[in-house]
Amino acid sequence: MKETTNKYLIVALLFGLTFHGSAIFFTLENSYDALIHLFFGNHYANSWFEPWNYSWYTGFSVMSYPPLVHQSIGLLSFIGGLKFGMFTVAILGIILFITGVYKFSLLITGNKTVAGYAALVAVFSSSFIETLHIFGQLPSIIGISVLLHAMPEIYLFIKTGKKQHFFTSISLMAVTVCSHHVTPLFGMVFFVSPLIGMVIMDKAREEVGSFKEIRFNLFFKTFISLLKRILLFGGSTIFLLLFCIFPYWVNSKANPITQVPIPHGSRDNFFEVTSSGLMFFVIPWGILLFILPYIFYRYFTKRYIFFGLSLTLLTILGTGGTTPIPLKILGANAYNILTLDRFTLWASIMSLPMFGEFVYRIAEGDLKTTLLDRFGTVYYRIISGLFAGCFLLFAIFTITISYFRPLQPQKINILPIVNFLNQDQHDHWRFLPLGFGDQIAFLTTQTKAMTVDGNYHSARRLPELTSRAVERLENAKYRGLEGIGSLQQFLTVPEKYNLKYVFSNDKFYDPILYFCGWHRLSQLDNGIMVWEKLNVQPLSKILPKEEVPTYLKLMWGIIPMLSVIIAFILNIQITWLQALKRKPLEKPDFKKNEILYQNFSWRLLKMLHIWSTIIIFFVGIAVYRIYIKNATQINPENVVKAYYDALDFKLYAKAHAYMVPNKDYTLSQFILEILVSDGVLNSYARLNGIETKIVYQTENNAKIIATTKWITPLELIEKNYLHQVQKINGKWFIVPKKKDTDIPPDEFMSDNINSYFTQGRRKISTQQTYQEDVLRQPDLEIISARLVKCNNQYVVVGELQNIDNVPADVVLKANLYDKDNALLASFNAKYEIKHKLMPKEITVFKVNFEDISWLKTNDVKPTTFNPNEFTTKILTKAPANFDIQSAGNVATTDLYNAVSIADLEISKTQIKGTLFNSGIQEVTIPQLLISYYNSKKELVFVDHLFIKEGVRIQRKQYFSYKLLNFSELSVIKPFAINCLVNGLKSEELARVIIPARNFQQEEAQLQKIEGHLDYSYIKIEVNNFIGNPR
Amino acid sequence: MKKKVYLVFFIVVALFLASSTLLPKKGIIDFSLETKEKTFIAGTKIELKFRTKLEARPQLFLIHSYGKTLLEGNLNKNKITFLLPGIYAKKTGKVDWFLVINGDKKLQGNFEILPNNQTKTQIENHIGPPSTLVGDGHFVMYVAVPTDGFDNPKLTNTPVIYKSQFLNSFTNETIITKDLIAWKDFYAPTKSGIILVSSECNSTITKEYDAVIYPGIATNFTVWYTRNHEFADGNQITTLKTSAIRDKFGNIVSDGTMVSFMITTQNKMVLKSFGTTIEGVATAKILHPDHQDVFLIKAFVTGIAESSIVAINYKPINPKIEYKFSKNNRIITVGLLRSFMNQLVPDGIKVKLKIYHNNKLVETLQDDSYKGKAIFVISPDYYKEKSYSFEISTLGNKQIIEVKKYDTYKQ
Repeated sequence: MKETTNKYLIVALLFGLTFHGSAIFFTLENSYDALIHLFFGNHYANSWFEPWNYSWYTGFSVMSYPPLVHQSIGLLSFIGGLKFGMFTVAILGIILFITGVYKFSLLITGNKTVAGYAALVAVFSSSFIETLHIFGQLPSIIGISVLLHAMPEIYLFIKTGKKQHFFTSISLMAVTVCSHHVTPLFGMVFFVSPLIGMVIMDKAREEVGSFKEIRFNLFFKTFISLLKRILLFGGSTIFLLLFCIFPYWVNSKANPITQVPIPHGSRDNFFEVTSSGLMFFVIPWGILLFILPYIFYRYFTKRYIFFGLSLTLLTILGTGGTTPIPLKILGANAYNILTLDRFTLWASIMSLPMFGEFVYRIAEGDLKTTLLDRFGTVYYRIISGLFAGCFLLFAIFTITISYFRPLQPQKINILPIVNFLNQDQHDHWRFLPLGFGDQIAFLTTQTKAMTVDGNYHSARRLPELTSRAVERLENAKYRGLEGIGSLQQFLTVPEKYNLKYVFSNDKFYDPILYFCGWHRLSQLDNGIMVWEKLNVQPLSKILPKEEVPTYLKLMWGIIPMLSVIIAFILNIQITWLQALKRKPLEKPDFKKNEILYQNFSWRLLKMLHIWSTIIIFFVGIAVYRIYIKNATQINPENVVKAYYDALDFKLYAKAHAYMVPNKDYTLSQFILEILVSDGVLNSYARLNGIETKIVYQTENNAKIIATTKWITPLELIEKNYLHQVQKINGKWFIVPKKKDTDIPPDEFMSDNINSYFTQGRRKISTQQTYQEDVLRQPDLEIISARLVKCNNQYVVVGELQNIDNVPADVVLKANLYDKDNALLASFNAKYEIKHKLMPKEITVFKVNFEDISWLKTNDVKPTTFNPNEFTTKILTKAPANFDIQSAGNVATTDLYNAVSIADLEISKTQIKGTLFNSGIQEVTIPQLLISYYNSKKELVFVDHLFIKEGVRIQRKQYFSYKLLNFSELSVIKPFAINCLVNGLKSEELARVIIPARNFQQEEAQLQKIEGHLDYSYIKIEVNNFIGNPR
Repeated sequence: MKKKVYLVFFIVVALFLASSTLLPKKGIIDFSLETKEKTFIAGTKIELKFRTKLEARPQLFLIHSYGKTLLEGNLNKNKITFLLPGIYAKKTGKVDWFLVINGDKKLQGNFEILPNNQTKTQIENHIGPPSTLVGDGHFVMYVAVPTDGFDNPKLTNTPVIYKSQFLNSFTNETIITKDLIAWKDFYAPTKSGIILVSSECNSTITKEYDAVIYPGIATNFTVWYTRNHEFADGNQITTLKTSAIRDKFGNIVSDGTMVSFMITTQNKMVLKSFGTTIEGVATAKILHPDHQDVFLIKAFVTGIAESSIVAINYKPINPKIEYKFSKNNRIITVGLLRSFMNQLVPDGIKVKLKIYHNNKLVETLQDDSYKGKAIFVISPDYYKEKSYSFEISTLGNKQIIEVKKYDTYKQ
């Protein structure tokens, strides 16, 4: 008999290639993982045998991920570039998946038509679409597809024991192993084990007349008879799993994943976090949800019973944190490392043969007949049309989900960044992109420059990163306290990582950069702001790496590609050769098990109807709840919440619609009033939570206190607002508040300001800066420095003056020593210092000794967000001495000083005051540095306060500051053993410039304060962050 | 006895043998140096010729400032010639040589390579620090290193002409090199500016190099102020200016010098405003207070210089607070607030209302004036008592209002 080509398969392939093949060009680059694989591909394209990659995380080994897919991308990139490689591999994955599903379905059902239908529905299967187009998990797709191809071979080997099938199956398993390690590991459990069970069943059936007659005894006997083959196959696969990616196992032993688990949506409770439920349950199951009873019914027939059990297990594991069962089955460790969505993926793939069968039966089989007989033509047409329509709609919805809800920041043109890094030796330092999403991976493929961040969190090595659940620094703001906390440590001590440039695609991070001592350099063509930190050493020419033995490098470079070649020769070449010889292909053994589809069970059909009704009911409830939640003006609390929601997303028109309609209060007036009040709250805050409380309510009026929590880059802000709301025509509205009526005196003003510019190199040359162009580092004087113990923490406080004639950027680091002069801790001054000083300007400073936060796993992580908080370094010995190293560099920006303290009112507990901005720049975030002095006018402590609203030009801003109460405040050491400025002793340097310092002048400027034991004077300084310099 | 004789004999023999091996072998002189010159000029052909009687081919071991090396000779009859490699021949300094055969030293000596005065002289310059302060012994050092065409420093005592310009003064001085370099400390003049220097050697001239002479630290100065009017309206701005701040030599201090203005109010509150100098004058602005006050102004270049104290008197603008109760005393309208010409006060004047119940402070409300009025609502939702008394304060004045009765009705 001549084999005819299956037309359904052909159609499926054609559909699949046109549909996915064209869609990937719009989806793949925005998916979560595809660019990471591209990055790895780039690594292999550049250094095939060297596993060490310097680009991310101060270096990591690519042996931490099976290489086959990446190496393929790397190889193909030589033909048409990296992206060509990635897309080609994706297209290969599509072909492999469709044919794999075909082969697997043929194996399961033994029916070519059914298998053809299965291949056809596989094309539009929402789990496949999600994995490819949204997650971009290329290795996972290739892995599972090749595994599906291996299934018939495994079946045939165990059933027949033919050598040929042994080698074909083993070679395919090797390819699976090399492309994805998790797939064969769990594939053995969830796919191969039930397959073996099915082989035994089939074999046993040959002994007796039907599956029904198989009893346990027979089954066991058959099992024993096949045991040798099973063991041979199982043993070989385990050997392959160990051998093919042996370097991977060596690497994971050397660098075990000891990091804090990264939260993943698939571990959420899907009822609580509905978005995760959608992404990791509803979408991958998709239309299959409606016919689940059919799938389970079919898989729980005797022949497939093991698949049935496996499917059940996969389904349960896929529910993540919704039930406690997955955690119990997997154990805490595996549960926290694995992403559980893959179980749902496998479950849906396992369901595809039965889905194909169902579609076959409804399209041209017995189900059609039953439906026609029972309900008539109209019902059949409506039901099958709806079913097909929903299926296709779901596929379209899935593939376009990133269009409706962008998963990534908008695509960034990275060329200007690459050019910036390549220019003028900027790539001699590390850089950090902020707000780039997964495009960070593509950026790093385009430049030699390295970043401290990265996009493959399993490979992170710095304890600053591994000790917390922050995938990337780049999206720190979405990770609350831990995210901003991590970022802050990198920004405060950047010299530790040779980090000099930050590319910011998100204005949110501006204040933290400024207050950590960074300054803006320029805005690139693509709108990315470049921030720079002075006084950071370039990377050394030779960087440390972890060396691995040559044999591992060779294994890593050779085996994966070799496995593909062998599998190709064994599986395809042989088939071709046979085809050439025109020998008819043997009918595969599993085709004997083809069943005739007759008499669709009426009970099953009823069951399906009931089940569908239940599902539709739940969908209805979900839709209703969404409606009620979005019905914003139905009660007074909803309208207030909706108002803040709209403000958070800057939907001003929507927010204005919640205001009591008033002719005189137009939208333009509303927006104007919002936009003129700049500040950390208006410009840099994300609403983290809102609670409303009704103070008082009548039929048509209510007063509501809204307790809002805002995440800002600097601190958590909790603010209460009192709102009056009114019911008009059945809808609730907010009564607008009175706005600030202050009128500045002048309409037009002029100001003379000092502005600065440095040429850098006067000659256009890529050589190192000429000696005559090197500016002298500005001289600073550390006027005083004290080691203070305060509330059980050691801090170094002091005062510093720029005694030079040019503005200075100040970096200040303090080291603590014990009595044997052993170094205990060192850290940089962070918020409590003015980093940019005009000539002769003074700043106070405070250095906290921070540890890497939450380094110990048993440290209690704070649950509330407070970026201000830090983990104090626990000192093993009491510090006895300290020194200070500071460096000045010529600064040219951020030198605004026109904010004055216009009024003060001091009570025992607090200071109330007024700031006044007399200059011509709007200050976005004013920061007060409040220093405390004892009765001898010696500095003992420094505190800071960020004022929530900005100070506009020629306007006032009120502030109130709560004075500190110290439970313990003692000066441990009143002077430093060494105060170094640019490597010279501060005192010696300063006396050359200021032969006799007049200390009384500073003391005369202190504010007397009564009634406190620990301090008698304070001083207030203002540090101004300008968000939008003109 | 005999034993002793033998012992002595053996010792003598042993000593003789030992000494003969330790002493340099007064072998036959196989080699002699033919080249007579002890000095060579850099960049010329440098050859060492030896006369030899042996057939053996010796090598020449060199210790040169570039490093140690072994040269192969060119044997011609009984003469062997060693040619110094070009790169070695271009570098000045002492060269030690050793003639060796199979590691045995046969002959040794040295010679010196001197700078080549026939090539064009080049000058390498350094000046530092690139900036310094006026007078007081501050200086910048200017170093010139005259070299030959192969970058070899010239011999000691090579004269270099140093030239400098500062304002109208030009200098011209000849400095001789010592230990390879010529240098001169240019002491900072007492005027700020830029010193230009250059040097000349063997008719080679350099470009100009500059050192910035910054003014010194500030000396005491005075402060004065200007304002639109003398009234405490809480709105106008008083501008504070310093006199041109100079250092002790009379130079105007560097632009950008920070001056902090300390303002002491009558309540002993220390307010601050800041200014940076332009042409020595720092300007800062302060808001007029909204109540009668006397500001004592003193400015500092902190730790370095200070000004005398200036007092600024702000006159009150509004002697009387008008107010009105309406809507069952639930609304208090303060105003009209009038200013010094009986005009309405500018918008945004702070008005405070303290609410008392039985002489206990219940709450302090604050409103900004708009069109001369501030309105407070004593909402029955919050203020449920039957009587309240009030205190209104604005523009430094206070007005006490006796007990007012309230109904406890709901709105």
